[in-house]
Amino acid sequence: MKPDRQAEERRLTELMIGYQKGNMDDFEGLYAALKQPLLRYLWTFVRNATVAEDLLQDTFLQIHRARQTYSPPRPVRPWIYAITRHVALMHLRSGRRRKESLADDQLPEVPVLPEMEKLADRATLHRLLAELPRHSQEVLMLHHLLGMSFQEVGQILGIAAGTAKVRSHRAMKALRKELEDHDGGEA
Amino acid sequence: MSSNSLPASLREAISEDLTPVKPLPAWWMRTIYALVVAAAGLAVIIALFELSLRPDMDQLPMWLTWGCTAVQLVVGVILIGMALREAVPGNRAPTGTASLAVATGVVMQVLVGIATRMHSPGVPLEKGTGFGIGIGCSAHDGALALPALVMTLWLVFRALPLRPSVAGLLGGAGAAVTADAVNHFICPMSDLRHVLVWHTGMILGLMLLGWVTGKVWEWKRFNQD
Repeated sequence: MKPDRQAEERRLTELMIGYQKGNMDDFEGLYAALKQPLLRYLWTFVRNATVAEDLLQDTFLQIHRARQTYSPPRPVRPWIYAITRHVALMHLRSGRRRKESLADDQLPEVPVLPEMEKLADRATLHRLLAELPRHSQEVLMLHHLLGMSFQEVGQILGIAAGTAKVRSHRAMKALRKELEDHDGGEA
Repeated sequence: MSSNSLPASLREAISEDLTPVKPLPAWWMRTIYALVVAAAGLAVIIALFELSLRPDMDQLPMWLTWGCTAVQLVVGVILIGMALREAVPGNRAPTGTASLAVATGVVMQVLVGIATRMHSPGVPLEKGTGFGIGIGCSAHDGALALPALVMTLWLVFRALPLRPSVAGLLGGAGAAVTADAVNHFICPMSDLRHVLVWHTGMILGLMLLGWVTGKVWEWKRFNQD
């Protein structure tokens, strides 16, 4: 893990510990730190910014109900993303999903890692990513966009770290192919 | 893009119930809790039913009695530990690993049954007695597994299992395999029809019970939300 990621993880752990002790400021800090990446992750499932915002609130309510199940100093993010994923899947299962399409400007902002930036501009990347199957999107989102380790991705998805790596490799290959097709189409 | 500040409705919902909470103990610690209850339960059930060792113990090799029981107990403990790990978000076991652990528990019980039959015929199964003996053995198996099952499922549902049926199935399998490891010393029958129908059947039944309990819990929680 890179030093800035370690510092971020330490900060999230401290916020989570404070939140478990009943500190509202720490909950707010956690919300502020995770809102955008969680919205982006939720969007992978629902493809609608409004629904993703609603699900984000549900996610934080679930996090609140389950807050005693987080045991420090475990990494906070796999715990939170697993709950988020569950909320999204429950939503899809409930049949409440809406099918509106989403304009690019509705996409929640998340930082894009330099290795991804090299491939194409942010808007194109997000659009091509949205065209991949969901399991490919999820692993790319978690590893390449949100910067999680394969170990963490495996914990969230319930797969071995090696499987996460293989899925990521295949998804990246598919994304590169889409980019080539896209570039070819534009030329 | 909206700001990162907390929406008023969420702030209100959270601040209404912001009591301090104590983090759950680690999964291995909760496994120890479950094992302590399981061990105490086993001792009570053995005393209550006045269960004794099978009469042909001296005909069975050590590896088959103490050795296989020890291995079955380890598999049972691993399954209970996996159930308790599964109960915490972000800790789910890969499906392949969970399936392998459950299959190991069931296959081991069958192999121990076959090996026991090869070493000792045990008490013969007389015509017309199979059902009554089977019910008795199943009652013992169920009673021996019950404390571990109840404790494991209680610990599982106190957390937030995101796949409650899988956690329940693992817990059911763990309790059943642990109980069968002990009942292997007690049941005097070696007939494979008895072993496969009543003992293997009980393991599968307890797994099903754990799975159904998880499904019911999930359904209740889903409808609450």
